[in-house]
Amino acid sequence: MTMQKNNKQKPDLVALAFVAPALILYGLFVILPTISSFYYSFTSWDGISPIINFVGFANYREIFTSARFGNALRNTLILTVFISVFENAIALMLALAVDHVHWGKNVFRSILYLPVLISGIVSGFIWKIMYNYNFGAINSFLKNVGMGGSVQDWLGNTKLTLLMIGVVLIWKGAGYYMIIYLAGLQSVSTDVMEAAQIDGAGASQRFWHITMPLISGTFTINFTLSLINGLKVFDQISVMTDGGPGFTSETIVYLLYKVGFNEGRQGFGTAVGVVLLFIIILLNTVQQKFLRSREVQI
Amino acid sequence: MKKKSLSMILAMAMAVSLCTGCGSAAAPAPEAEKTTETKAEQPAAESTAETVQEEASASIVTEPTELTFIFADGDEGMKEAMNTIVKNFNEAYEDITVTIEPGNGGAYSEFLKTKDSVGEFPDIMEMRDTAMYVRAGKLAELPSDITSLFASTTEFNGKVYTAAMGGENTDGIYYNKAYFDANGFTEPATYDEFIALCQAIKDKGDMAPLVVGGQDIWHLGFLFNKAYDDQVISQDEEFISHCYDGSADFANDGFKKTFEEMAEIMAYAQDGWTSTPDAQITTFLVNDMAAMLFSGTHMIKTIKEADPDFELGWFAVPSPDGKLRLVGGSGIGGLAISAEAAQDANKKAAAEEFIRYFFSADTYKYYCETMNCLPTLAEAPALDVDPVMQEIIEATQAADHLSPMWNGKTGNNELPPDFRNFTYKTCIEYLQGTTTLDAALEELNKTWQTSIASFNPVTGVGIVVAE
Repeated sequence: MTMQKNNKQKPDLVALAFVAPALILYGLFVILPTISSFYYSFTSWDGISPIINFVGFANYREIFTSARFGNALRNTLILTVFISVFENAIALMLALAVDHVHWGKNVFRSILYLPVLISGIVSGFIWKIMYNYNFGAINSFLKNVGMGGSVQDWLGNTKLTLLMIGVVLIWKGAGYYMIIYLAGLQSVSTDVMEAAQIDGAGASQRFWHITMPLISGTFTINFTLSLINGLKVFDQISVMTDGGPGFTSETIVYLLYKVGFNEGRQGFGTAVGVVLLFIIILLNTVQQKFLRSREVQI
Repeated sequence: MKKKSLSMILAMAMAVSLCTGCGSAAAPAPEAEKTTETKAEQPAAESTAETVQEEASASIVTEPTELTFIFADGDEGMKEAMNTIVKNFNEAYEDITVTIEPGNGGAYSEFLKTKDSVGEFPDIMEMRDTAMYVRAGKLAELPSDITSLFASTTEFNGKVYTAAMGGENTDGIYYNKAYFDANGFTEPATYDEFIALCQAIKDKGDMAPLVVGGQDIWHLGFLFNKAYDDQVISQDEEFISHCYDGSADFANDGFKKTFEEMAEIMAYAQDGWTSTPDAQITTFLVNDMAAMLFSGTHMIKTIKEADPDFELGWFAVPSPDGKLRLVGGSGIGGLAISAEAAQDANKKAAAEEFIRYFFSADTYKYYCETMNCLPTLAEAPALDVDPVMQEIIEATQAADHLSPMWNGKTGNNELPPDFRNFTYKTCIEYLQGTTTLDAALEELNKTWQTSIASFNPVTGVGIVVAE
């Protein structure tokens, strides 16, 4: 008992020494600037002037009355939901397929993981060229196979822009989630599966009643990660559409960048960042509550 | 529980990292030194490396002086011109060394802000967001012997901070002359003839009448500015100022007609214009995919490089009222000296000398010819330029009205920081049919009201000048 008490009181200096460098850097470059962001969000600072005017809640009032922010919020949510749902569905399907491959499993896994290794900027450029209305591979292909009527201005059509950005994000991200799902699938006991099979459970029943419950933890992690990635999409939008046409693909993060850095309204941009922080906390809390309750029921 | 915690930590870390980008410490205000230095005679500069002046540098600085210089180096021509000029200057002035630092290509404005925020603001720079930096006290006033060189200058409270390197980029229509000649099309003399010409090319159906790089909204701004000059400036030169004081707004007839003129012209743009970047428009022109494009003088070199044999023609599009309104004259941007550098007597003298050298007859002639830009000096050098460029120079001389772009004006006509882009994007939404004209103008009015609550040169709100 005494020993335990002593251990509790004594700080683990070795562990602390290992953690300290990262903790200091994180504190200096993430925590401190974040705290100062709250201050700047109440100012009209332009990003360069030594004079910083306190404007109270003016930035927040503008955020909640501005149609532009509303539009960015809507675009962000659409993109996030689209990505989270389809990225996970596709990643799970790929993981199931790769899990059942008996020959060249590593080759397939590597091929499907390749897009993850390409940077967001580069993948944006690649797809921007492919989507190009006049010179892009997709429209050229459609014309060459006699489907000229299906040719689209993929990034210029306001009804398609967000969807097309979502496709790129899914293409780039699915491989990553596939690996995590694959790890989850491989942890499912073969004994349980074989027992179910002997009991007469079909493939579909085994998937929904055994596999899915057993990988629900993996699902929670993946869904959280894809939600986060969806909310912070920036690279592809910057490269492919610059938030356009008009405001069609402007998300909150992109609005933050454009207003804060491009248009010299750092104070307002910071306020947008603070609002986004709370949106993410809110969404994540709701999502966790839902997914956790699902895990408990299982 | 662990999973929940991990997810929450991940979410928090990401959200927190989003906020960090926006906060940083403000740099202290530099105090501009008022010391006047004895200036040496302006050296007769040379445009090439073959001839180097030896006589000048001794009296400019009292000790070897190094200056950092940043410009927007996204354009290869600009890079070439600046490298040559700086090299020649360094050779001519033994005690002064100007060092070019990379300007980060396209995202120049953001890059300069970053340099400032990390304490690496250059001694001399190509300045674009002049008003913002003047108000922040970052720039030094230029001496009168430099400012008097120019045909016109942009003043802030009676002081000039920038030496315009080139006249505002005059826009006009560049066209496929061979195609025009082959089909009997001629340069239109009126706005109505221009629209009729577009229609005739459209009816012919072998290429788009006009190529527009609408993905880059600043490119769309060229056409927007034309329509704005035609419809708004023709009626009220001080329109923006009047919007600030509340005597005008964006639902007025002129601004409405600006959007309508845009719609009329954009009806002749190529399919997919919203996703076409500016960098691609030359391809359309030289590959017979479009007959015309509307842009500035920088396009001449680009088109010639894309196809040296391309037969290029140019004409200005008159306003519907018959007047010729063009973008031109000295703008708000140009070479500037940092206020911090100006506190050092030697740096100040050296930087001013560099600007004098830049605008000396031969050097400036070389710059204008390389960049295809319109001279801004009162005594403009005679340029040996492409006939198309010569035609543009003559057009600016004959124009009824010359002014900077609508977003390049100063004083009571300076736009709020984010209003230009908002207008262009709103205009695109209108052109694409995702919003109506009335809704678009109403949205502009709403955004304007929000913007002027924190920036209004007429009332002085948000206009704080650092000393």
